[in-house]
Amino acid sequence: MHDFAEWLGSTPLSVAIQSRLWLTPTLQTIHILMIGVVFVSMLSVALRVLGQVRTEEPLAEVWHRFAPWFWTALGVMAGTGLILTIGEPVREVSALSFWIKMTLIVIGIASALYFGRTVAAAAAVSSVYSGRARVVAVATILLWVAIMFLGRWIAYDVEIWESWHLA
Amino acid sequence: MDLTPLVEAAQNSALSEWMRTSLKAVAIINALHVLAIVTVFGTILIVDLRLLGIPNVRRSFTRMHHELLRWTWGAFGISAITGVLMFMVNAVTYHRNTAFWLKMATIVLAGLNMLVFELITAKSAPTWDKGVIPPKAARLAGALSIVLWVAVIVFGRWIGFTKGYDFTIPENVEFDFSAPAQ
Repeated sequence: MHDFAEWLGSTPLSVAIQSRLWLTPTLQTIHILMIGVVFVSMLSVALRVLGQVRTEEPLAEVWHRFAPWFWTALGVMAGTGLILTIGEPVREVSALSFWIKMTLIVIGIASALYFGRTVAAAAAVSSVYSGRARVVAVATILLWVAIMFLGRWIAYDVEIWESWHLA
Repeated sequence: MDLTPLVEAAQNSALSEWMRTSLKAVAIINALHVLAIVTVFGTILIVDLRLLGIPNVRRSFTRMHHELLRWTWGAFGISAITGVLMFMVNAVTYHRNTAFWLKMATIVLAGLNMLVFELITAKSAPTWDKGVIPPKAARLAGALSIVLWVAVIVFGRWIGFTKGYDFTIPENVEFDFSAPAQ
C-alpha cells in the first residue's frame, strides 16, 4: 500500500494537484462546508427520531426533506476527498485515522441506505419512537461525529495514535 | 489599540503552555472546533434557506427558527471556547495573521446581520410564517448569512495555511543566499 501511495504521488495527476498551492485549501474548505450539510441533514433526521425537532411532520417526510442534500453533499465530499487523497497519498495511507474514517463512512452510507429503504414502513408504525430507535439515532450522530474527528486527525495522526501511526 | 501585551499574556499563560506541551490537546480541541463550526453553519443554513423559500415554505418559520436556535447557540458556544483555546496556543502568530482578522470581522458582520434580522425583520414573522415567500428584507438576511458563514469557514481554513508564513521581512538586513543553510 505504501509503495502504491509512493507511485500515485509521483504520477502527473498527483504532481499537478500538488503544484497548485491554492487547490488543497480550496478543496478542504469545500469538504468542510459539505460535511456541515451532511452532518446537519443526518442530525435533523436523528433529532426527529429523538423528538427534538419537526415533531409535527412524519419521519418519512423529514427524511425526504434532507435526503437529497445528504446524498449530494456526500457525493461532493467523495469527489473533493478523492482529489485530496491523490494529491497527498502517502500522508493519507500512513494515517490510521484515514483508514478508520473510511471504515466508518462505509458503515454510515450502508446504514443511511438501509434507513432510506425502510423509513416509510417505520413511519407508518408510529410517530413516537421506541428506546431502540432512539439508541440507533444517538449511535448515528456519534458515528458522524467520529468521522469528522478522524478526518481532522489525519493531520495529527502521530499525536493521536502515537506508535499506531502506520508510517 | 495595542493588543500585544494581552496576546503575549495569553500565549505565556499556564493553560497555553499546557496545550502546547500536551500531545493530544490541540488535536482534540481542533476537531471539536470543526464539529462545532459545521453545526453552526449547517443549522443556520437550514434557517437561511427557509427564508429564501428553499426547498419550500410549508413549515412554520417561527417554529423551525425556535427549534434550531438552541442547537446553533450551543454549537456557537463550543466554537467560541475551542476557538479561544486554539488562539491561546499560538496567540502571537494568530494576532499577526490577516486571515484570522478577516475571520473575526466576518463573524462580527454575520452577528450584525443576525441582530438586524432578529430585532427588526423577524418582528413581522407572524405575517409570513408559512405558505408565503418571506419579504425582501428576510430573504436578503438569509442570503447574506449564507455568504458570511461560508466566508467564515473559508478564512478559518486559510488561517491553517498562512499562519506560519505571515511575516514581514525585517528592514536593513542583508540576506546572504549563497551561504549554506543552517
